[in-house]
Amino acid sequence: MNKKPNHIQPTLSAGAFPSVQGMWKQYQSDAAQSLLPTGAPYVDERLRGGITQAGLHEFFGGAKADSHAAAAFALLLAWRLPESDAGIFWISGDKERQTSGRLYPYGLSAMGGDPARMLLVQTADLRDALRAAADAIRSKAASAVILETHGNARLVDLTSTRRLALAAAETGVLALLVRGDAVPMPSAARTRWRICSAPSAPLPGNAPGLPTFDISLLRHRGGAAPFAARVTWDHATRSFFDAPLSGGLSAIVTDTETGPASRQRA
Amino acid sequence: MVEKQRGAMRLAACDPAAHALGLTAGMALADARARVPDLAVFDHDPVADLNLLGWLADGCERYTPACMLVPPQGLLLDITGCEHVFGDAARLAKDLHARFSRHGLSCRIALGRTPDSAQAKAKYAARAISDVPVEALDGGDKVHKALRRAGLRSIGDLAVRPRKPLAARFGKAVVVRLARLLEEEDPRITPRRSLPIIHVAQNFAEPISRTNDVLATIEMLAGNAALQLQERGQGGRRFEICLFRSDGHVARLAVDTGTPTRDAALLMRLIRERIDALSDPLDPGFGYDLIRLEVPIAEVLANVQVGLETKIDTDAAAAALIDRLSVRLGAERVRQFHARQSHIPERAALERVAQSDVAKADWPKADWPKPVPGEPAMRPFRLFETPQPIEVTAGFPEGEPRSFRWRRHVHRVTRVEGPERISPEWWRHPRGYAPGNGSLTRDYYRVEDNEGRRFWLFRRGLYDEIERPLWYLHGIFA
Repeated sequence: MNKKPNHIQPTLSAGAFPSVQGMWKQYQSDAAQSLLPTGAPYVDERLRGGITQAGLHEFFGGAKADSHAAAAFALLLAWRLPESDAGIFWISGDKERQTSGRLYPYGLSAMGGDPARMLLVQTADLRDALRAAADAIRSKAASAVILETHGNARLVDLTSTRRLALAAAETGVLALLVRGDAVPMPSAARTRWRICSAPSAPLPGNAPGLPTFDISLLRHRGGAAPFAARVTWDHATRSFFDAPLSGGLSAIVTDTETGPASRQRA
Repeated sequence: MVEKQRGAMRLAACDPAAHALGLTAGMALADARARVPDLAVFDHDPVADLNLLGWLADGCERYTPACMLVPPQGLLLDITGCEHVFGDAARLAKDLHARFSRHGLSCRIALGRTPDSAQAKAKYAARAISDVPVEALDGGDKVHKALRRAGLRSIGDLAVRPRKPLAARFGKAVVVRLARLLEEEDPRITPRRSLPIIHVAQNFAEPISRTNDVLATIEMLAGNAALQLQERGQGGRRFEICLFRSDGHVARLAVDTGTPTRDAALLMRLIRERIDALSDPLDPGFGYDLIRLEVPIAEVLANVQVGLETKIDTDAAAAALIDRLSVRLGAERVRQFHARQSHIPERAALERVAQSDVAKADWPKADWPKPVPGEPAMRPFRLFETPQPIEVTAGFPEGEPRSFRWRRHVHRVTRVEGPERISPEWWRHPRGYAPGNGSLTRDYYRVEDNEGRRFWLFRRGLYDEIERPLWYLHGIFA
């Protein structure tokens, strides 16, 4: 912030390094357009490569208790970003922390994340949280900003989400909005997802297995068709993979715009 | 003003009118009533007195940052090097007197080369130190009486005497005090606030009240302070703005930064945030006539040449963002994870303020466990601050949970792994490892319910420790 050159400032004449500047611009515009693949081939194919990194994405919990699944999925997506990048901001209000508990670093590291990269911001209310999220996205300090809200909040409307989306498009920050226990409302997000926990492939001794989610794409600004899939997180490769059903089928393909059909089938 | 002293109600202080009637402090209330039957009496409130004195001291900081309370009634200002702003020390005293009388307060101001001399002159309303009575020596009644009996009534009488016999007769303390009164020895005063490393101020002939003017002034001061910091090769960690209102009130705003800085633009952003975050907005009243910027804490900050790499940008941006959010939301709301040696899950991980005054490099390096390939996470990604009580159907005596009820919803357990037994930290308890409350073993289970949600449950207490162990839900797996 204060690291200004104090003595010899290299004097760049405007036309001296056109190629460097051009390359820099090119790099920046590339970064703005780059896609973040989930790692699961089926999902990435339906998304035509992945989700836009410089954009806002919304994650709704399927049922009331699925807000945790939505939060976990958003967090894991953020970890798909390269490790060397800047920190990940987790912004939530007092209410969310009260109802959903706090993030537990041992669990995060066990899923392949680096707790030292996380910055936690706890605000008194949603208004502060939205403002903090906008600031975090606008500054170049974060690689991803996750904002967790709980319940139907009127503050999270088209205007406030557009503010976040525009900021994200400008700086190339991955902005993720977790909406636990809420009904989808019009918003400026690039994609909207419904996330539910799904039964995992059991380990020997019928022990619970790796994190598994039923995800359904509800809306995509780029025009990708809605779809549903079941994915599992592999912490060793830090990527998702298409989860096989217990019956040995590949990922479920249903046109579930409306209901959690996948859950009923499982 | 009355106060109970030595078992009787006595006058603690009286106003000039009462003095004129012959009343003095220390007189019994009954005697005073006998002299003046319609005496108006109020309870003495020393705390309120002290508060008023503190408030006055705040106001006096417009003259000098070195200001000291001398309870119950005195204020000491060290105006060394500060008087030129007003011309000379006498004019400064005049200005101070005018401000006090504007509030209806009477005061006696005395100037001296040493704090003791000034204080004695003010206390005994003496023009010169030689007129001050020997009581100013604070040597105790015995000493004062002995001196008076010897015909030494004032400091002037003592000044011409040889010191050595005095010291032999009355002790060394008296001589030291005498030297201080006679301005031969100069002790420093201890200011109520530690002196800032740098302070810059702006006076106004006409008080200003518009927020924009105030901000513009602060910006100019910030620029000056940044220059001074640059010369010293330092960056400030804390900045304080003092807004002196013309009616004597002082508003203080403090801004902390996570890393040393001397960037005026950044500082201005933080100050704006701070002003926005005030619960009751700044009230300029009749305007501010002095604005001062102080830098109480500064650290070494080398000049850095900006490289072509963007990494420095990210770090600096992160520090700036943390500062901004900390100023707006409160530093305790912006945190990072921090590990602690403990095997009790909730004790093992803390969150600490991201904007810490300990340099980041000095933080104990947390080695978070690396994931094991193929093994699922053995710890939840979310933990409840207080474990959530649940009703569980489980095998008896120490069997696995079959189903449980949490937040009015029944979860049927389909997969389960456990128990992972975590013993209490018995060495923390005064009675050591004793069965009973406070030191119960926990059996943790990883379970998955029929809807695919994964939880971390535990039973608090073994059956041989407690008759009816209770179950809790402690965390949630992804």
